[in-house]
Amino acid sequence: MSTTTRKIVIAGVMGAISIFLGASHLGFIPWLAGAALTIMHVPVIIGAVLEGPVVGLAIGLIFGAFSLLQAAIAPTGPADVWFTNPLVSIVPRLFIGPMAWLAYKALKTTNEALSLAISGVVGSLTNTILVLGVLGLYRFLPWALIGTIAVTNGLPEAVVAAIITLAVVAAWKRLESGRRSSTI
Amino acid sequence: MSRRTEFEFLGRVTIGQYLPTGSALHRLDPRTKLLVCLLLIAVVVASQSLLGIMLLLGAVLIGLALARIPLSFALSGLRAMLPYLLLLALLQTFAIPQYAANATVLWRWAMLTITDRSILAGILLIARFSVMVLGLSLFSFSTTTTELTHGIEHLLRPWQKLGLPAHELALTVNIALRFVPIIAEEAERLMKAQASRGADFGQGRNFIQRTRKLLPLLVPLFLVSLHRADNLIEAMEARCYLGGKGRTHLIHLQAHAADYLALAAAFALMALVIGLSTANADQLLWRLLSTYL
Repeated sequence: MSTTTRKIVIAGVMGAISIFLGASHLGFIPWLAGAALTIMHVPVIIGAVLEGPVVGLAIGLIFGAFSLLQAAIAPTGPADVWFTNPLVSIVPRLFIGPMAWLAYKALKTTNEALSLAISGVVGSLTNTILVLGVLGLYRFLPWALIGTIAVTNGLPEAVVAAIITLAVVAAWKRLESGRRSSTI
Repeated sequence: MSRRTEFEFLGRVTIGQYLPTGSALHRLDPRTKLLVCLLLIAVVVASQSLLGIMLLLGAVLIGLALARIPLSFALSGLRAMLPYLLLLALLQTFAIPQYAANATVLWRWAMLTITDRSILAGILLIARFSVMVLGLSLFSFSTTTTELTHGIEHLLRPWQKLGLPAHELALTVNIALRFVPIIAEEAERLMKAQASRGADFGQGRNFIQRTRKLLPLLVPLFLVSLHRADNLIEAMEARCYLGGKGRTHLIHLQAHAADYLALAAAFALMALVIGLSTANADQLLWRLLSTYL
């Protein structure tokens, strides 16, 4: 199986899931007082874990470009105005995949399940910290508020990303090995 | 049309609507439109001048007229956002103290101060956002996804020599756009199947429970998509797909005089806006107005 074809297709399909989660609002889990936890970045993490950092980068680019377009064309809240700036919506998202992949690769040999959960946390926190960091540098939000958001929104988001990454990748890998054993 | 149920997603995916009016703007090379669009976004973000942003707004409105797109249709995307936008502009005007330094205080009451700069910041925010929404809408109204893919691939081609996989990236974007409706359909089927087994999506006391309730939908959705991806990979390889190297195309993009004209006009306008921003044209205009009025 050629690796480029595989990488292109997986990146495209994971990008599509990210777009779908955003467009259908399934990717938002209701949280305190109207704020929502997002899982739109989870396909980026899963793609990076399965196919490497370049695929993660490509899915991050699609996710970022879509969140810019969505913020501009079909906005859902006041914060969307900030996301029409590509430095907020696209650039931070490019780092999610590579960071998650690094975490996964570093820990894979010790414990695969743990490394999947950690890569979910690392990828999610990369998103939170970089996006909020850029918002802070632009002074859209005061730093004190950013700290609060990072804790109240960023940490639960990291936990959610870890749960989903672990559930999906573990199921996918087990399924593959199960299939292999059944073909006699 | 039948009433939408909570399981239907296709109706909600509104992004990338295309309006085939066959105007001169629709016939432009997608590369031209992509370049102008990217330039517009960059300049709108960078420009600090209200005058410049108003010029861009005028240009986008002229573009909408040229593309024969009903103004009310184009503005409907903006209208839904208006309440949030006003709220944010107010917030910008009242609450954010960054504009307090060397500005004229116009009004002060208890904790609230309004300065001329904070008002300008609020207006800038609304103007900038309107240009961005209308510009991106104009692009999606006048360009099909196929044109977009070809445009991206052609534009990235010069970077191919430096190792950027232009064809591969364009194909990835194309696959993503093509898969969105497929995944929406799949999710609809999965939600119906799980609901018939008594699943209750997204309910629960805390966020971990809510996430766990979403897993019966998300895990199969990812797995089904990965299986579909595997099938597509096999199909592509069965047809001897080998990536972008040595590949020929059915459609060849060709830039015409109109494209060069449009590009030149766009570049001139953007340069003017950046010039206005760096020359502090707003303050000059303000001073002129305040001396003569």
